[in-house]
Amino acid sequence: MANPWVAYLLVPLVKIAVILGVVIMLAAYLSFFERKILAYMQIRIGPNRVGPRGWLQPIADALKLFVKEDIVPSRAEKLVYLLGPVLVTAPALVVFSVIPFGTSFTLFGAEVTPYLADVNIGILFILGVSSVGVYGVILGGWASNNKFSLMGGLRSAAQLVSYEVPMGLSVVTVLLMANSLSLVKIVEAQKAAGIWYAVPGFVAFFIYFVCGVAETNRNPFDLPEAESELVAGFHTEYSGMKFAFYFLAEYANMVVISSIATVLFLGGWLPIFPNWLAGFWASPAFAWIPPVLWNAGWFLVKTFAFLFVYIWFRGTFPRYRFDQLMALGWKVFIPVSLVNLMAVGLGVLLVGGPR
Amino acid sequence: MSFWGFLASVVPFELAQGLGVTGRFFFKRKATIQYPEVKPVPKDRFRGMFGFSEERCIVCHSCAKACPIAIIHIQDHFEEVEVEGKKRKKKVLDRYDIDVKRCMFCGLCEEACPTKPVAIWLTTKSYETAAYERNERLYFTKERLQSWDGVRPYPGVVPPSQGQLPEDPTGGSGEAKP
Amino acid sequence: MTNLEPTKPLPDSEEMEISFGPQHPATHGVLRVMVKLDGERIVDARPVIGYLHRGTEKIFERETYNGAIPHTDRMDYTAAATNNQGLVGAVERIMGVTVPPRAAYIRMILAELQRIASHTIWLGTHALDIGAQSPFFYTFQEREKILDLYEEYCGARLTLNAMRVGGLPYDLTDGWTGRCRAFVDQFPARIAEWERLLTANRIWKLRTVGVGVISAESAIEWGLTGPPLRGSGVKWDIRKVFPYDHYNEVEFEIPIGTSGDTYDRYLVRMEEMRQSVRIVQQCLAKLPDGPVMAKVPKVIKPPKGEVYFSVEGPKGELGYYVVSDGGASPYRLHVRPSCFINLQALPEMVRGQLVADLIAVIGTLDIVLGEIDR
Repeated sequence: MANPWVAYLLVPLVKIAVILGVVIMLAAYLSFFERKILAYMQIRIGPNRVGPRGWLQPIADALKLFVKEDIVPSRAEKLVYLLGPVLVTAPALVVFSVIPFGTSFTLFGAEVTPYLADVNIGILFILGVSSVGVYGVILGGWASNNKFSLMGGLRSAAQLVSYEVPMGLSVVTVLLMANSLSLVKIVEAQKAAGIWYAVPGFVAFFIYFVCGVAETNRNPFDLPEAESELVAGFHTEYSGMKFAFYFLAEYANMVVISSIATVLFLGGWLPIFPNWLAGFWASPAFAWIPPVLWNAGWFLVKTFAFLFVYIWFRGTFPRYRFDQLMALGWKVFIPVSLVNLMAVGLGVLLVGGPR
Repeated sequence: MSFWGFLASVVPFELAQGLGVTGRFFFKRKATIQYPEVKPVPKDRFRGMFGFSEERCIVCHSCAKACPIAIIHIQDHFEEVEVEGKKRKKKVLDRYDIDVKRCMFCGLCEEACPTKPVAIWLTTKSYETAAYERNERLYFTKERLQSWDGVRPYPGVVPPSQGQLPEDPTGGSGEAKP
Repeated sequence: MTNLEPTKPLPDSEEMEISFGPQHPATHGVLRVMVKLDGERIVDARPVIGYLHRGTEKIFERETYNGAIPHTDRMDYTAAATNNQGLVGAVERIMGVTVPPRAAYIRMILAELQRIASHTIWLGTHALDIGAQSPFFYTFQEREKILDLYEEYCGARLTLNAMRVGGLPYDLTDGWTGRCRAFVDQFPARIAEWERLLTANRIWKLRTVGVGVISAESAIEWGLTGPPLRGSGVKWDIRKVFPYDHYNEVEFEIPIGTSGDTYDRYLVRMEEMRQSVRIVQQCLAKLPDGPVMAKVPKVIKPPKGEVYFSVEGPKGELGYYVVSDGGASPYRLHVRPSCFINLQALPEMVRGQLVADLIAVIGTLDIVLGEIDR
């Protein structure tokens, strides 16, 4: 591209706009899908009155949260109180800058890559940025000037921090197999190997996903924010737009975990058996689909599969008590992921190096 | 512990079974009824809103005595009427009010009524009695009891306007059954 | 969210006392529990009741005996048929009236269906408190079918008013027995489905095994009845020990637990639902013909005397103590409420446990504030 203004300013701005737009709409509509899917599992249909078959429900919810009265507790720490939701939502959205949705393609005669940046420490960046979200939880709970919000916030933060360790360890097993930290190279390594990393790394896959559920404070690990509990959650004192931000951050985090799981374990934008069935995927039945849609479509399908499993878990399982939750994280998941790491390392060595 | 026991403690088989149950319900027929477009119709004996027939009422006050919370208010007076050349005294109903906002729809008034078919009944299959104002709209006088929106005659009874003969309350169609 | 007062630190201690309820989604009614916490452990939990007191026993003193029956519906509103059965049974005992066998069998069917309906509410709300959201809907769907059967029989779904002194007000409608049989025949498969979701579930077991333990001796001392007593291993069921209606002519078992914890009470209630199905099937098969009302006067005036009569309700032993002075209204009608006496054991069951277990224990006691407060 000749013009540096276009290449370094305009194109990234457009990409940011597209990614943010898609992600925020996806997070909002995820709340709608959650209500519908939960309802279908519970012998009822969810919202079906607002708009055609209920599809405008998230818009109505967003409008409602916009116009709700914004109550700030009188003795809350103002600045920190305002900063809490921001510190939770921003990292969830920033993580999307390094997630690749496909390979590069040509648009109006120029090379365009469907991701914002291919940082060569991609995974490290993701783990680091998503940890900043813990600040938002603690600060939100503390700034509310409510002993029970504080307790809820501390519990939530303890849960998040302790489940990041097994999550990180399962990510390391993928790195052993792919020999790179960059997300684009991890997907290309899966293409070169001809198999998604979920197959050799199924233990890591399972642990990553379950820790992801704990990271987003979802059932069965949602004691800190359950309504029938004695201690209130950290977002009790928030109302209106600030509550909308926490709400959005929870769903955006779900999408983040699902996208990363897709990239690391399910081959990102690759179809099933990309090399073995390469002839089938290149056949005329699929040849008319432009590559960018083909890649993005596979990515979306896999992400939706994870999101469906998130919602399925919520509809089925009882909740863990907090001490049981921590015991599970420290006494079960960390040893298992360590053993798995050693096993995968041994396996990679025996196979003759990372593939 | 045996190998399968160890495996079962690590791999959550029973959790997967639980997921299977909810997953199967995902595809089953849903139980939602789209009210108000579709209104469920209650069964025949359903104790809903009242129906009252002034012609059949003999003003015996049994319903008022049977009501556990005394919400039926009856006032009457005697009138002289000519029947077959003789002067008879007949009870005439002045006031028959039911305070529906306190009613518990127990049906004891219907059970106590001695006429056949009964003069006060709850089997109108109507449950939509909500009102915006409680004290006036939920206090039913004699006229309102016979004319509220949706009132139905006692099951099997044909109202006089449609040809009911005084001796045969069913209009000739057979025995009126609860 | 919770209704919390500012915490008052008790003098000379690290304890905190907080008030849980009365407006709270997990207290099954307007129950208030004053919880003394030491960190996360519960030191003491004192239930505060009275928010639903309606003066029912005083109302009984001005009602006729048949007019008192709708008021009994509203005590334990999830199990109206057994409430009715208790009152009419007590009055019949004073009067020395024998109910015709058809009426007695129909009463047994109604009571056992009511036991199933009450246990479905218990299961749905208990699972919901512990975090599983879906069993609530599945169990309530089955309860709808039972309520449809009731609606067809007596005209009401919840506050049934289904029995009278001396028998029943109506006979069954055409086809009711067929529909009832169809329901109970498919019901054990539903129980199996719910068990597949919960019984072996490791999260469920972690939340309920060892929680809210009460020993058999303590249970007898506190006067517990019903599943809390049977979960601790004591084989005591009024239907077997002091049989009424025709319970001694049908075969059924009394499930008991071993360790007196929440998981055992859960298993006891699931098994009780299966035994109720068995009873209903036998009653439907044995249902005799005949009248449904004995010869009783229009205005019930029992002779002077007093009687205590109890039935096995879904929550425990529901007793009625009737003192009659010969008039049309009782002189005194006292109710022995099963939930009230079961609730008294709450402090013993939660002492030393964590806060999250308090909710599981309130759910497992299966309390209904209507009966506790009357």
